[in-house]
This record gives sequence, C-alpha cells and structure tokens, in this order.
Amino acid sequence: MTRPFASAKLAEIGEDETMQYLLIIYGDETLRDQAVMQEITAAHMRLGAELQEAGAIVGGNRLRSSDTATTVRTTGGVQSLHDGPYAETREQLDGYYLIEAPDLDAAVAWAKKIPGGPNYAVEVRPIWPLG
Amino acid sequence: MEAERILSDAVREAGDRIRAALAMRFRDLDMAEEAFAFASLKAVETWSRDGPPRDPAAWLYAVGRRRAFDLGRRAKVRNAAVHDAPEPEPDPESILMAAFEPIPDERLRLIFVCCHPALAPEARIALTLRTLCGLSVERIARAWLVTEVAMLQRLTRAKRKIRDAGIRFEIPGPDTWGDRLDAVLATLEIAYAQAYEDAAGACDAADLAAETLRLTGLLCELAPDEPEVLGLAALIRLTEARRPARLDETGAMTPLSEQDVSLWDRRLIGEGMGLLRRAAELGSSGPYQLMAAIHAVHATRLETGFTAWPNVVALYDALLTVRPSPIAAVNRAVALAEAQGPDAGLAALAAVEGPERLAAWLPYQAARAGLFAKAGREAEAAEALRAALALQPAPAERLFLERRLTSLSG
Repeated sequence: MTRPFASAKLAEIGEDETMQYLLIIYGDETLRDQAVMQEITAAHMRLGAELQEAGAIVGGNRLRSSDTATTVRTTGGVQSLHDGPYAETREQLDGYYLIEAPDLDAAVAWAKKIPGGPNYAVEVRPIWPLG
Repeated sequence: MEAERILSDAVREAGDRIRAALAMRFRDLDMAEEAFAFASLKAVETWSRDGPPRDPAAWLYAVGRRRAFDLGRRAKVRNAAVHDAPEPEPDPESILMAAFEPIPDERLRLIFVCCHPALAPEARIALTLRTLCGLSVERIARAWLVTEVAMLQRLTRAKRKIRDAGIRFEIPGPDTWGDRLDAVLATLEIAYAQAYEDAAGACDAADLAAETLRLTGLLCELAPDEPEVLGLAALIRLTEARRPARLDETGAMTPLSEQDVSLWDRRLIGEGMGLLRRAAELGSSGPYQLMAAIHAVHATRLETGFTAWPNVVALYDALLTVRPSPIAAVNRAVALAEAQGPDAGLAALAAVEGPERLAAWLPYQAARAGLFAKAGREAEAAEALRAALALQPAPAERLFLERRLTSLSG
C-alpha cells in the first residue's frame, strides 16, 4: 500500500490500529460564484495542511465539473460510453480525500472540517483493507 | 423447574452486565450473543444435574467467556483454512475451577457502541434492546411493526457497520462525549416514545417501557454528573407514572386533564422529582430537563389538586428556544389556552409553522378540536374531530374522539 504522507505518529500507533477512509464530497455545481470558490479553495488548502500535519492524509483531489465526465457503462456484457456523470443529480461528486484514521469518530471529525459552502454533503466510506 | 428459575433470576439481575462484558471483551456483538445463549443453555443442563453453583452470574460469565474464546479460535482456524482437530466442548466444571473472575461493568460502553450516531436511530434502539437488554428479535420487530426477518436484517446490517466502518468499542472521555451522548439520549427517548404511543397497548408496550426505565436508570448510575441524562430519566418516569390513568374502564383514552390522579404511580413520580432536583443542582439546563419540568408541574396536581398552567407555558417557551418543534408548539398552545383562555390558545395554534404538515398529525387535530370546543365553536370542533378520526387513530384514541364528537352533536 502506498502511503506518500505516512508519518511517524501513525507508525507509533501501528498499522492495525488505523483504517483508511474515503471522504467523498458532494456539492451543488450550479451554485458557485468566483468569490465563494476562492474562499472554499483556500479553506481546502488549510485543511490539507492540517491533515498533513496530523499525518492523516493519504491523498485527495478536486474533480472537474460533472459536464466533463464520461461514463463507461456495461449492460449485459456490452460496453457503451455515456456523456455525463454516473448519476444526473443536483449534488455531484466534487472531490475526495483519502485519509487514515484510528476509527469512524476520527474520520467523521475530519469530514466535518471539509469546507463547501452552506449546502453540501460528505460521505465517509471505510476502505476495504488489502490482504 | 429449579435450575430454570435460578437462571432467570440470574439473568434478570446480571444478564445485561454479562452480555456487555462479553461483547466488550471480545469486541464482537454476535459472538457475545451466541456465547451468552450457549451459557444459558449449559446452565439449565448442568444445574439441574449437579445443583446450582454458588454464584450463578459468575458461572454464566465464565462459561460464556470460554465459549467466546472457542468461537474466536474456530473462526480463526476457518479463515486460515487450516484443519485442526475439532475443539473439545468446553467443560463448564473445569472452567469454574480455573477462572472465576468478577464481571466488569461494561454496560455504559456497550450503550455508547449500540447508540453510535453513525447508526440509524431505529437500528440503535433495536441493537440496544437486543444486545444489552436481551429482548428477542421477534419482540423488537413487534414493537416497530416490521417482520422478524426485516428486524433481523436491520440488526445484522448495524453489527456489520460497527465492525467494517471502524466504530470502536472504546468511548471518549465525558468531556468530549458531545454527539455520542446526544445520540444515546435520543435513542432512549425514541424507544420510550414507542412504548408510550399506544395507550391501549398497555400490556404489550409495558415491557418496552420497563426496559427504557431500566436503561435510563442505569445511565443515571453510570453517568451521574450528566444533567441531561438525569433529565431524560426524570422525564420518562414522570410520564410513565401516568400510564395507569391513561385509559378509562371502557378502554378509551383519558386526556391528561381528566385523569384520575389517584391512579398515578407515586413511586415513579417521587423518583422523577428526585432526579430532576439532582439535575438542577448540576447547574446546566437542557431540553430533557425542561420537558421533565413540564411533567413535574403536571405531577404536582397530585398534591395540590390544580395545574399551574402559566408555569407550563413558561417552560414550553424555554423549551421552544432550545429545541424548537411543532409538537412543543402545539402543546404550548394547549397550555396557553388553559392559562389565558381558548382564544389565546387558538391564536398560538394558528401561529404554529407548517400547518399543512401538521394537518395530518393527530395530536394537532385533537388539540384544535379541544380548543374550538372550549371556545364554544362547535361546528369547527366537530370538523377537527372528523379530521382527527380520518387519520386512523389507535382504538383508544378513536373511542375518545368518537365520544367527543357525539357529545358535540348531542
């Protein structure tokens, strides 16, 4: 497992004690003005630094808007391309963080710190451990 | 049979403690359940043959623990696909010789695990009643009007989430309980609401009410410095105290203001009042304490013969600022009508937000009917009663509403 940001602190706790979680950010793409976006981006930078500092980050990215998405769908073994995201919903997948945390409470505490304006959602999903 | 009686006594007295200790020791709710069931089975078998042990609870814990060890070892062997010789059956007698240890009190931790805020509220309740109280899946399913299969799936899913999502069996210290304690209290509140709802289901819901009384009492013991824990325990006691007066001899619901106070349970009222006083001494108010205080005012009618309605209104005002809800707003309107007359009450009721949604809520229509009737506006009262009856009330409420309607037309 690659852990570009793994820290001494995590090593102390030990591999068995931590889990990985994907924090998936869903937001309303239509409600974004420039000033708000700048503010949110700055907040993400601060959170990234904080995660780094805590040795909790494994990775993370912001995604381009869902109108750039292409979906490869397989139906009955036949593959086809679809211009658009997997689900056409108002709230779209905006980005994600992949973090390491000792338990769900800690992962949720990080999720609560993710910025995104007045209305958005962060899904916390445990990663299936390898091996 | 003697062995069975001793077993049921031991389970009543120490069952939740043994179940919690097993669950925490092995960090596995399913295994704990299976181990406890096994120990109970072995108990009847062994005790009828050899006579009961000196300390039945410690015996159950020791046998359960041994069983869980074996289950864990077998799972490990299975997972590793190694074929060892089959484990010998645990021999309860040798366990007794080897390992008599006191049963640690892990019940608070187990409550916190079962009531984790990341679990759906109905899953939390089911899990708490099953794991801590040992209620059967069938009994829990009956209370929530779902099939036994559906309830079993709900429990299985919750247990899987605890395991796979990383809900730990450790709990944070009291200074950072926050959301976790709120989720525990909300779970117990909903569990009691379920037991309270159906006035006529007196016998069926009574055991569920008894479990929430027990759980809140336990929580008070384990977290005696949490004012809202005491507040919720007080609230449930003060409300439950009125159960014997909630139905008349014909099986119709009797509204609070018409209840025969001599039927109220004085012991529960005393307990509730005492808890509320202790909570107040801790010096931080909260919604459960405020709700308990409202019911304490009602309970005082037992001594004074009247209800201090202005106090009830003031407490609802305070409650609405800390925890706004249409339910509290409707109840406040009813109290206001008692304090200042039906017109004030009707005005307050009209000001409750979201009347469209409220229209489909039985207590709202019943409150409207009561206030219209008080104001002498009989046609409107009858209309509200018909609207209430259209909402498919439980038999006890139906009888009550129908009788009101008849008295209006008469």
